[in-house]
Amino acid sequence: MASVSLSYKKGTSFFHRMTPFSKLLLVLSVSFVAIFNTNIYVGTGLFLFCFLLAVFLTGVSLRRYWAFGRIIVPFVLLLAVVFPFFYGGQATVGSDEVAIQTPVKDLTWGALGFGALLALRFLSLAIVGLAFSFTTHPTDLVQNLSKRGWDYRLIHAPVMGLILFPVFLELGREISVTQRIRDLGQNTNKLRRKWIRIKHLVFSMLVLGLRSGQTQAMALDIRGYGAHKTRTFIREVPKHQVGEIFAWIFFALSVIYLIIQFNPATMQWNIGS
Amino acid sequence: MKTDQTAAFLEKYNFWFKPQKGQKESHAALVDVSFEVQSGSFVLILGRSGSGKSTLALNLVGIYPDYFGGRNNGRILINHPKLGLVNRRDITADQRFRIVNMLFQNPEDQIVTLTVEDEVGFALENYQYEPTEIRRRIDLALDMVGLDGFQGRETLHLSGGEKQRVGLAAMLAMEPSVLILDEPTSNLDPAGTADVLDTIDRIRERLNLTVLVIEHEVDEVFDRVDAVLLVEDRRVMGPFEPRQFLEERGLQVRDQMGLWIPQASEVGLLLREQGNKLPGGIPLSGAELVEAIESSGMKISPQKPPEKGDNADYPGSRLSNPAIEFKGVSFGYAEQPVLENLNLSAQQNELLAIVGQNGSGKSTLASLCNGIEQPDSGTVFVDGIPTGDYSFEKLVRRVAYIFQVPEKQFVCSTVYDEIAHGLRTLGVEQDEIEQQTVKLLGTVRLLDRRDASPYVLSHGQKRRLSVAAMVVSKPKVVILDEPTFGQDYQQAQNLMQMLRDLANEGASVIFITHDMRLVAEYADRVAVLCDGKIIFNGQPEELFTTEEVLLRARLKPPSVAQFSARLLGYPVLTTQALIERIQGVSGG
Repeated sequence: MASVSLSYKKGTSFFHRMTPFSKLLLVLSVSFVAIFNTNIYVGTGLFLFCFLLAVFLTGVSLRRYWAFGRIIVPFVLLLAVVFPFFYGGQATVGSDEVAIQTPVKDLTWGALGFGALLALRFLSLAIVGLAFSFTTHPTDLVQNLSKRGWDYRLIHAPVMGLILFPVFLELGREISVTQRIRDLGQNTNKLRRKWIRIKHLVFSMLVLGLRSGQTQAMALDIRGYGAHKTRTFIREVPKHQVGEIFAWIFFALSVIYLIIQFNPATMQWNIGS
Repeated sequence: MKTDQTAAFLEKYNFWFKPQKGQKESHAALVDVSFEVQSGSFVLILGRSGSGKSTLALNLVGIYPDYFGGRNNGRILINHPKLGLVNRRDITADQRFRIVNMLFQNPEDQIVTLTVEDEVGFALENYQYEPTEIRRRIDLALDMVGLDGFQGRETLHLSGGEKQRVGLAAMLAMEPSVLILDEPTSNLDPAGTADVLDTIDRIRERLNLTVLVIEHEVDEVFDRVDAVLLVEDRRVMGPFEPRQFLEERGLQVRDQMGLWIPQASEVGLLLREQGNKLPGGIPLSGAELVEAIESSGMKISPQKPPEKGDNADYPGSRLSNPAIEFKGVSFGYAEQPVLENLNLSAQQNELLAIVGQNGSGKSTLASLCNGIEQPDSGTVFVDGIPTGDYSFEKLVRRVAYIFQVPEKQFVCSTVYDEIAHGLRTLGVEQDEIEQQTVKLLGTVRLLDRRDASPYVLSHGQKRRLSVAAMVVSKPKVVILDEPTFGQDYQQAQNLMQMLRDLANEGASVIFITHDMRLVAEYADRVAVLCDGKIIFNGQPEELFTTEEVLLRARLKPPSVAQFSARLLGYPVLTTQALIERIQGVSGG
C-alpha cells in the first residue's frame, strides 16, 4: 500500500493539470461504463480510450503501468479463458452438464466475446485507476474535494488510510509470525488451528490497532483537526478548464450510453445478437 | 532562556480517570499537584514507569479530561499571550493547543499526512492560517530542527530520528509557549538522541520556549535542564534545582525508587559517601566530574588497563561452543541488500549485544536466527545444524525471539496461560506445567496477576511476562529486541539479571539495543552492525576506544566510559568499577 501512495509522480501532463475532481469524474464514468457495458465493440473502444489516455495524456511510461498492472494480468487471463465456458446457455443452474465440461469445439463467438469483454473491462478499470493514482496527490484530492464543499474530516480519511494501512499490514504480519513461533493452536486439526489463529489475529489487531488509532486521534486533535468547519491549504490546486470540460463531456456521454443500453432486452451479454 | 514569568501553574490539582461502565471510580491518578513552571525553562519530569508522568502531561495539555473523560478539581493556569495567566477551562481547546502542546513518544503514531510539508503545516491549515504564513512557518520550523530541504519528502520513508524531528517541527510551527516531550529519544540510536536534544536546545534559545521533557535516559539531559519534577505515587514533588535534587535525593531515587541518575552524578555521590569532597557540588556531567576530581586533590594518573587474562570475571574464560553461528550470510528484501557476507557467532553462557544505528539490519539479523527469514546465501547454524534443516516448530523451540513490543507476542487470555502455553506445546504433563508455571510467575513477580489479561499489565510487567513466556521452554538461544525499552532503572536491572541467570544456565542471550549503558554493564561481547556488515566484534571496553567504529556506526560510549577514559586513560564500564579504580590509584 505504501507503494500506491508513492505511485504519484510529479508532472505537467494533461492529466496532471486536471483537477482531482475532474479526474475522479472521469474515472467513475469509465468504471460505470466498463462495468455495465455489454457490447464488445464499446468495451474495446473503452479499453483503447483508456490505453491512449494513459500513453499520451499522463506523461507516465508504459513500463511503469506494467510494473503496477502486471499483478492483475493473470487474473484477467483467467477470466478471459475460464468464463467463456460459463457463457449463458451452455451451463445453467440445474442443468446436467457441468460448465467446465463444455467441449472447446462447442464454444461460440458469443462465448469467446463474453470472456474478452470481461478481460477488457478489468484492463480498462486498471489503466484508468493507475492513471489517476500516478497523477493525483492524495493531499490535492483532499483539498479539491474539500473546496467543492465536502467535509475535509471525511475526505482526509483516505490519506489516513494510506498511512495506517501499511502499519496494520506490518502488525498483522508480526502477529502471524508470533502465532507460528508460539505454535498457536497446537494439537488441533488444520481447520481448527486456522480458526484459532484467525480469532487471535483479529483480537490482537483490534486491541493494538485501537490503541494506535487512539494515539493517532489524539495527534489529530491536538493539532486542531476539526476545530473549524473549513480549513486552508498550503498549495493551491489550479483550475484546469479544458480538463474539466473534457471530464464533464465524457461523463455526459457515459450517462447517455448507459441509459440507452439499460434495456432488459439488450442485457444479454452477447455480441451481435 | 528562563525568565521570572510563569508559563504554567498548577494549584491543588487532582484528577480521577473515568471509571468503566458498572465500576466505581478508582483512587485519584494525580493527587494534590501544585507547582509552577517558569517561562523559557527546561524541566525534566522524572518518575518510575507507571508513576503518572504521562497522565500529568496529558492533563497539562488537556487531553485529560476533555478528550478521554475523567474528573478533576483544582486549577491549571497557563500563560495566554494576550490575556496573561488564564484557567485552562476558560479557553477553547484549539486556543489551548496553540499555547501548550505535546509530542508523543512514538513518532509513527503522530504522522497524519504523506509529505513533510503537509505534516508540518497540517495544524496551521486546520487553524485557517493563510498559505503564505503557513509556508513561512514550515520553512522556519524545518530549519530549526535541521530538516531544511525536506519539504517534499515522503513521511513514510523517513528514519526514526527524522520522523521525531518532523513531529517536533509540526509542534513548533504552531509556535506554542509550552511544549511537552514524552520520551522523545526512546526510539533513537545514540547519535539520533544527541541530534534531537541539541535541536531542542537550539529551539529553546531561539524561541524562548518552555519545554517539559519526560525521559528515562538522563545522562544526556540532566546538565541541560533548569528544574526537575519528581512524580511518585501519583504525587508531584518539586520543581527542584537539578544539582540540589541530586545532592539531596540522588542515591535515594536510584536505590529506593529505581530511577536512572546521570553516571557522573552517581560517581560523585558515591565518592562523597566515602568521605571525598568534590568542589562545586555534585557534578551533572562527565566534564564537571573530571574537573571536580582534578581540582579535589585526588591523585589519579593514567593507568594501563588490566590484562584480560588477569580478570577472573571475564566471561570469555567460560565460553564454550557456539549456540548459533552465521557463516557468510547475505540477505535482502527485493533488490535491496540488508546483510552482506555476515560472519558472527554467539556462545553458550554468553550475553552478546548487537548495536548499530537505526536501519542497520539488526532486526533482520534476529529474524534469520529462528527461521522467520532464510538467508539468500550462506548458512545460519543452530547447535551446529543449519536452520534450513530444522522444521520451523523445532527451530523456534531452540531459538526464542522476543519482540520489542511485548503485546505482539501474547497469544493467551491470562498471564498464567501465557506461560503455560509454551509447556503445553512441548507436551509436558499437567502437574509439571502447574509447578513450572507458578515457579516462573514467582520469579518474574507476576504471581498475584496470574488471572489477569496480559494486555492490562503495566509496561514493565508485560516485558517480564513476554520474556518468561518465551524462556519457559528452555531455549538454547534467546534473542531480545530492545529489552529495556521504556523501563526504569530498577526494571531494567531486574530484567538484565534475569537474562544473566539464563546465560549462566547455559543459554546464549543475544540482545539488540541502542542503550550503550546496558551494553557496558551487561554484555560479554558486542557486535556492531553497520550497512549490513559486522564492523566490530569484541569486548565493550575495546569498542568504546575504537573511534573509527563509533563514528561510522553513529555510536556513543556511555557517559562513564567517556569520563573514566579521561581520568584513567582507559574506559571503565560501570560506575562501581570506576570508584574501585579511583580508590585503587589514589589510595583512597
